[in-house]
Amino acid sequence: MNQDNSLHGEFSSISPAEFFYRNRQMAGFGNPSQAVYSTVRELVENSIDACEEARRKPDVRVSIDEERSGIVRVTVSDNGTGVPYGEVPNAFARVLYGDKFTARQRRGTFGLGVTMAALYGQITTDSPVIVVTQTSHTTGRCYQLLIDIENNQPVVLSDESHEREGPGTEVTIRLKGDLNRSRERVYDYLQLTTVASPHARVELTINGSSIMRMGWWHQMLPEPTTASKPHPHGADLELLRRLVADAGERSLHSFLVESFQRIGTRTAMRFLKFLAINPRQAVNTLGRENLSRLSSALRSFDGLGRPDGKCLSPIGKDAFLASIESVFAPSALTYGNRGPTEWSGNAFIVEGVAAIGTGARGADVPTLYRFANRVPLLYDSGEDALTKMLKRVNWVQYGVRSTTPVSIFLHLCSTRIPFKATGKQSIASLPEIEHEVLSLLRELGRSLKKTLKRGERSVRDAQKKREFDKAMKQVAQFSAELAECDAIPSTTELVHRLFEVDHHV
Amino acid sequence: MSDQSKSLSILKDLGTAIVQSIDNEEFPTLKFPGRGTGNLVYDEESKQFVLGNTQVIRDSSNLRHIKSFTQLVWVASYAKQLLQAGRTSSLRDLYYSSEAFGVEFSDQAESDRTVTDLECLTGIAREAFGVFPEERSSIYGQVTMRYTVAGYEGRDVDLTLSPDGLPIGPALVTADPVESNAELILAVESGGIFSRLIETRAWERFNAVLIHLGGQPPRATRQLIRRLHDDLDLPVYVFTDGDPWGMHIARVISTGSANAAHIQGLTTPDAEWIGVTADDITKYSLPSEPLNNADLKRLDELSRDVRYSDSMWQDYIRDFRQLQRKAEQQAFSRHGMDYVVDKYLPEKIH
Repeated sequence: MNQDNSLHGEFSSISPAEFFYRNRQMAGFGNPSQAVYSTVRELVENSIDACEEARRKPDVRVSIDEERSGIVRVTVSDNGTGVPYGEVPNAFARVLYGDKFTARQRRGTFGLGVTMAALYGQITTDSPVIVVTQTSHTTGRCYQLLIDIENNQPVVLSDESHEREGPGTEVTIRLKGDLNRSRERVYDYLQLTTVASPHARVELTINGSSIMRMGWWHQMLPEPTTASKPHPHGADLELLRRLVADAGERSLHSFLVESFQRIGTRTAMRFLKFLAINPRQAVNTLGRENLSRLSSALRSFDGLGRPDGKCLSPIGKDAFLASIESVFAPSALTYGNRGPTEWSGNAFIVEGVAAIGTGARGADVPTLYRFANRVPLLYDSGEDALTKMLKRVNWVQYGVRSTTPVSIFLHLCSTRIPFKATGKQSIASLPEIEHEVLSLLRELGRSLKKTLKRGERSVRDAQKKREFDKAMKQVAQFSAELAECDAIPSTTELVHRLFEVDHHV
Repeated sequence: MSDQSKSLSILKDLGTAIVQSIDNEEFPTLKFPGRGTGNLVYDEESKQFVLGNTQVIRDSSNLRHIKSFTQLVWVASYAKQLLQAGRTSSLRDLYYSSEAFGVEFSDQAESDRTVTDLECLTGIAREAFGVFPEERSSIYGQVTMRYTVAGYEGRDVDLTLSPDGLPIGPALVTADPVESNAELILAVESGGIFSRLIETRAWERFNAVLIHLGGQPPRATRQLIRRLHDDLDLPVYVFTDGDPWGMHIARVISTGSANAAHIQGLTTPDAEWIGVTADDITKYSLPSEPLNNADLKRLDELSRDVRYSDSMWQDYIRDFRQLQRKAEQQAFSRHGMDYVVDKYLPEKIH
């Protein structure tokens, strides 16, 4: 027995906190420069989500200070709802704790990110995370928190009342980080954040000096999302069991109608008849085998129509165009979208903008800016499904040349983004998503072609006018020589009039 | 009014019209007869084909016309400079000069066409502006000419002076024949036959003024043939290759070219084509080649051309179409070096 134990090592489980610390590169904390960027990113995403929750235009301030070489203090404050005081310790110092497990689009996904940043800070600098928060009708409190890594439990070092100028939250994390190497990424990230959240304003201060303040490109707050009932295609056995447990003694027919989107009375009848299960049977009496049959039938059920889009928050044509125009000042741009449709029951929409003359470097393939649930993705573009689709399109066919720099902005929003890793930097290749992205890119390509043609035409027209103008001046000069008059008659007005008239035709 | 000052005043009027039009804030337009073969009509009075009533309009407000409009006005101003300076230039020289004035021609053919446009527009032949082609025909025979050009006035030249023949340039065209033993003019297409006729002293035997055409002859050559024909009362015989192209050289000498139908004094209506005809190919058993597609196409064009409407010429065309073969002048060599002089020409020239 003893020998066996030494052979197999000791079996034990580790806490989620410990697991994520050991695998921190997966969550985007692999090296000091990525750590600064990831910390900013997690805090900013939480802040904007909180402001939208409060139906306030987000006003997010980021300040980064290098305390001494290699040690950085990141503070992000917002004007959101504030965190209910009882929840603060768990929300910031317990891994996998949060309110984001519902079927609607949010920036954060598991409530993992901020605690990961806090955890990383704690490990590298032995400092607590400092949270100042104020909910409405209260005065505000300040917490210093550590994480008990082994047990995944918050440790509250201090908790005192703290005046704040209004509701909102301010989080400070000290961490080992490389400010110089992360500076540019942080800047790009915040700039692109205002592109994907045009109703937000972001400020960045580094070592006390103001680096940027931009945003509020579009005044409209996005419509609040509402959690949808599950889509039948997402009805795996686990979900089905949970739903059945909640449904009590309901009949199978009313269970289907009430628990899922896209299933009405008639569809439910047709569906159950096909499965040869009595619609009046109570759900909690379904056997294991029937439950499994039900699950696979639901997941492959065709002809359900488009999924409910209320759980999604696309940027929208006006806002997306407005933000790109403000940030990149392109000479022309065009918007398109696809969806809502679903992958494994998760609703998604892809929307995109093609812009000409954004200052991007010219190439045969457009420069791609990726966004997922309004979050810009800056790393791992090579492995990303959006990048792959971009490369699959023959852009030359749409008139894209290295002489015409084109940028494509793609936003995928979904109740669940299929990220390749917890670092949330690249989107996995799923046929449903790739199909829609490819169709959208081609649609953008077609309107791009039209725009480019129009551009070429106007360049050609201008050149024609220049040539014509030159020719008329020569005619005037030669004929003046023939006529032996000293003054060469002016043709400017004549040429101007001709091309003005041409323009209106 | 001298020819020169008349030309100058025509050019001045052209310029004034354009300047006035621009001053009135109107786009100037130019109008002149079109030179398509469809616009050729026979003029009884001058016994030559002239341009009909179809007009070409160059409208400077038209984006497709502006380039040729500019070119045309430039050629006019260039012609004026030549005239005022008393200089001559060649078509090629004119083409190369254009660049210095910021005027672009895609090739010399385009600038040549523009010069012809100016002739149609002003009714003045380019020779009057001092613009000549680069290529020269040659002449040889028992005629003495007296020059009229500046610096050579009154000097005589004997056209047998050089065994190579004398080049036909502006000076010779404006010279007057003062003495002649010639009884006919024999114009031949190829240089080989021309030399042969000089070497074998055929010019003496036939009392012929020999002219080397070298393909379609320049206008100066046609003008000189016409002058010698008129002034010395000499019949004109044209001897070319036996194909549609050779036949057309002869026809242009007698009826004029579409390209120069706007110019008077270039045609010799009673010039006679002696061959090589399709008939000759058979009759003299000449080595021959089959007509190719281009030849057949050319025959089709000529058969519809007004200049070939009379029955004799339609017969020539028909004979070629039936025979389906062509022969060069040199083909006579098969019967010996001097066969053409000893046998063929005496039978053709009466």
